[in-house]
Amino acid sequence: MSDSYIKSGKLPEFPLWNKMRENRNVISFDLELTARCNNNCRHCYINLPANDNEAGRKELTFDKIKEIADEAVALGAFWCLITGGEPLLRNDFEDIYIALKKKGLFLSVFTNAVPVKEKHIELFKKYPPRDIEISVYGVTKETYEKVTRISGSFEKFIRGVNLLLNSGVKVRFKAMALRSNVHELPEIAEFCRKNTKDYFRFDPQLHLRFDGNLKRNEEIKSERLSPEEIVLLEKSDTERFQSLEKDCDRLINPQFCNINCNHLFHCGAGNGSFNVSYDGYFRLCSSLWHPDCIYDLKTGSLTEAWKYFVPKVRSMTSGRREFLEKCRKCPVINLCMWCPAHSYLETGKLDEPVDVFCKTAHARAETLNKAF
Amino acid sequence: MNAVYAPAEDDVVARELHGEFIIIPISSGVGDLEDEIFSLNETGKAVWDKLDGKKKLEEVISELTVEFEGSAEEIRNDVTGLVEELLKRKIIVEN
Repeated sequence: MSDSYIKSGKLPEFPLWNKMRENRNVISFDLELTARCNNNCRHCYINLPANDNEAGRKELTFDKIKEIADEAVALGAFWCLITGGEPLLRNDFEDIYIALKKKGLFLSVFTNAVPVKEKHIELFKKYPPRDIEISVYGVTKETYEKVTRISGSFEKFIRGVNLLLNSGVKVRFKAMALRSNVHELPEIAEFCRKNTKDYFRFDPQLHLRFDGNLKRNEEIKSERLSPEEIVLLEKSDTERFQSLEKDCDRLINPQFCNINCNHLFHCGAGNGSFNVSYDGYFRLCSSLWHPDCIYDLKTGSLTEAWKYFVPKVRSMTSGRREFLEKCRKCPVINLCMWCPAHSYLETGKLDEPVDVFCKTAHARAETLNKAF
Repeated sequence: MNAVYAPAEDDVVARELHGEFIIIPISSGVGDLEDEIFSLNETGKAVWDKLDGKKKLEEVISELTVEFEGSAEEIRNDVTGLVEELLKRKIIVEN
């Protein structure tokens, strides 16, 4: 009889979920605990050396993280992605993780698995995360360490992966398709699919660094695959290609040619989620680093950022004809990596077309056999 | 009926959001931990609020009998049923 007083299920099964989505409520947020990383990956958009003291000093304190999480929960947050850099490098990772769990947040953790130790396994077994997503850069020492540029990292990676897999914690894998590892991508996919029941995803599109480091940006560009290679890779992955085909009508929309809107943001950034950088900057999404689009949580509050700053950013418009004609009206914009955030990282402007993204989007569209 | 119950504070977190009272498992062994949550309706929440680790179950039932309409027997059955359910799911513990 008392069963009627209590119901159990996933959040989307409750009326609460619709209430959360009705208005612009916080549902989830990403928390970058650090920009430091034990690896030095050629393609990385954020990593700084593990022993970078200046980066360490800039990191949000445990108390500030708790304060931000308290506000996020008060605004309705349910999910938090703990990311970095490599979040396990924080000496207070366990304290942060437990504090976030005890606020009732479902936690996901992104890691490269290299720093995983027994103490992390004990923590994850006691307070299970929603999932742990591991980045896989190669499945041979040669390829893995060509990407990470750290000798001995492959052995530690395999050890960390095995520790996590044997613990029973839910593990997911992802890979970046890079010039340095593309020859091994089928083996990487096989390794990932063999070791998890969950999905495996790879990302063939690289964006540039948040700090604008010119030398590192050139390295990232040198790791980019050509549009033709990206399309071939996607086509060879049956699961991925079928998904693209299935969504074809949404991804390619000739009606976009008639759009007369000059708003910059047509994505969901800031509608139900946000990102906090390791040094305390609030953004609508992790890549959005334009000075007019960041809010310093060290001097302001999350509530103010969410309630007043986000609508201000989302109302930004463009008067640049090239953008309005070429991107805003583009029927394949949904197949494109272009967005104001990536435009800024590539060109220093929020509304500049990016040739390499454009070519990839059109190559994808062509493969999907749609006329436009 | 002399037993005293309290929320399993180390294992669950209770939150009120948009007028709904929910309980979120955070520890291993409580719920399936794959985004499973529990929701208590208004009556369930009233029972929950009284499971404070101090009151005996008999006192909880007596107070609810005063606050809610219905026969004492009916309320007793409802409360003990819900407490059993919460215990089974490890959402509350016996002090």
